Amino acid sequence: MTDSPLRRSLGWYRLPILVVALVTSLLFYVPFLVVVATSWTETSYIIFPPDGFSLQSYSGVLNDWEWMDAFKVSLRVAGLGTVISVALGTLGALALTRLRSRTARSWVRTLFIVPMAIPPVAYAVGLYSVSLRAEALQDNLALLVLGEALLAVPYVFVMVSSGLSQADPALRPVASTLGAAWPMVIWRVDLPMIVGHMLAGAVFAFAVIFDEVVLSVFLTPIGVKTLPLQMLTASQEELSPQLTAASTLVSMLAVALLGGYSLFSNRRAARARRLSRKAATA
Amino acid sequence: MSIALSIKDVHVTLGQFEVLRGVSLDAEPGTFVTLLGASGSGKTTLLNVIAGLQQLDSGHVLFDGANVERRPPRKRRVGVVFQSYALFPHMSVGENVAFPLRAARRPAAERRRVVQEMLDLVDLGGMIDRAPASLSGGQRQRVALARALASDPAILLLDEPMAALDKQLRERMQVEIKRIQQQVGITTVAVTHDQAEAMTMSDLVAIMHEGQLVQVDSPENLYRRPVDEYVASFLGEANLFPADRHGPLPVDSGAPATGTAVVRPEDLVVLDAGQLGDRWHVRGVVRLLSFQGSRFRLEVTTPAGRSVVCSLPPHTDAGALLPGSEVTLGCADPDRVHVIHPAAVGEQLKLAA
Repeated sequence: MTDSPLRRSLGWYRLPILVVALVTSLLFYVPFLVVVATSWTETSYIIFPPDGFSLQSYSGVLNDWEWMDAFKVSLRVAGLGTVISVALGTLGALALTRLRSRTARSWVRTLFIVPMAIPPVAYAVGLYSVSLRAEALQDNLALLVLGEALLAVPYVFVMVSSGLSQADPALRPVASTLGAAWPMVIWRVDLPMIVGHMLAGAVFAFAVIFDEVVLSVFLTPIGVKTLPLQMLTASQEELSPQLTAASTLVSMLAVALLGGYSLFSNRRAARARRLSRKAATA
Repeated sequence: MSIALSIKDVHVTLGQFEVLRGVSLDAEPGTFVTLLGASGSGKTTLLNVIAGLQQLDSGHVLFDGANVERRPPRKRRVGVVFQSYALFPHMSVGENVAFPLRAARRPAAERRRVVQEMLDLVDLGGMIDRAPASLSGGQRQRVALARALASDPAILLLDEPMAALDKQLRERMQVEIKRIQQQVGITTVAVTHDQAEAMTMSDLVAIMHEGQLVQVDSPENLYRRPVDEYVASFLGEANLFPADRHGPLPVDSGAPATGTAVVRPEDLVVLDAGQLGDRWHVRGVVRLLSFQGSRFRLEVTTPAGRSVVCSLPPHTDAGALLPGSEVTLGCADPDRVHVIHPAAVGEQLKLAA
């Protein structure tokens, strides 16, 4: 590491850059560590440094039906939303590869990515006014699930598109000259190559939907709360250690999900590297 | 079971650019045809037209006399080997070769039998469970060939099949592909920009230039009797001299020419003063003499600045041909000089049409 390309390319000013990087990452991690620490206090209010050590606020959260209900609602919304967004995003990415016109391609790509840039509040208000007109969409989670799914579609679309663009563009034509009709091309040629990217898209979609609070504010039926909404409400009432305990639990879930995925994909990459090395020596 | 291929007056425009401008071609069943041309001449587009991967503006493609231009690729019974080989990376070698059989819904037992047969044909019988990523370039090419042949296609299409191989392997695979093609007896169209490759493999070579076929003929006829200067200098080296209907005119004389004489470097010899007589000859100064193993290569510049290339047998006395010395070159055999008459080109085209 003493003579890494990074070190050489940064030159004498690498020290100030490293300091800035360190401070920035501290800005991110310190508040998080404070939240984690305050969750094990023995007091019934938030205090830092924590006073004593106990898991009472954790058991408080896990035994409180309000928190647990919110958790279950969020799991359901995120699960269903993920399935829908993976289906739509994948179909969009597949359609993109089948468009011949360059202008059409760039339009479709833009239209699929733009939802990332729209403020969720504007989108939520729009969906809310839709729900006012359609009674079937009131008093249930259908519109929330659909809305969240559409917010997550761009993530899936980008992931799967990148997977498809890595493939040899001749694969589809060759499949058709070999006699395959389009369902077989999708099922046996496209999909097997992008499962990994669909999985990555699903992980992101799930994380995005699980955390999203703005749509929940507008679209949950009375008496139903998603976990982020429950946390928002709790924070407005009082800053209890239960809130920080819940935050810690959710963060751990997210870390486990993303960390697990990245370990899995690293293992896959390592296996692919081993395979190609073996091929090179054979 | 192979077919006769016939292409009639095909036009294709991509964007603003007319890539194929009236291409016609006929090939008997079992013929190996190579489309030879510089990049951008439209040869890959023509291959895609035959495969059904490229729409036509106008014209016809016939397999055994039947119009196929409205048939989608999957119903044309074509076997295509792409330049990248396009093996499915997530399938084993065996699964790749089985793909067309699966598409045709053949039973599993038959799939297994045909896959083994095809892999044996290309000498990869033991590789059935390997991943494409673990194969060498030459092996991948043979898997692609086995896969293209597995569904018993009517015609085999090869797009720059040797482009991804190194030189030595390339020469071996040219012979190998020719052997397989003859064994299967399938009508084949290959695309290449490599003239040696075209001459090694083909029964017929079609020279493409700017979206048109300039000449379609056997390799030997193309070399001996090119229809125009483009073909003459594209295929092998050629010295072009002004000529009239009797043969090449005295060099740099300014006499009115009605055609062009094509003199191949190996048909030129060094003449002594006593051999001259009234033979046609060209005088000049040696610019370069290089020994190339089986031949000497001699480059001569005439007083008017014309460059003449001559290929001499290896036992030539090189001492008399050092750079700067004056030489006189003549034809070894005047009958081997081919004269291109612009009028004759028009007649030949009429004959072909």
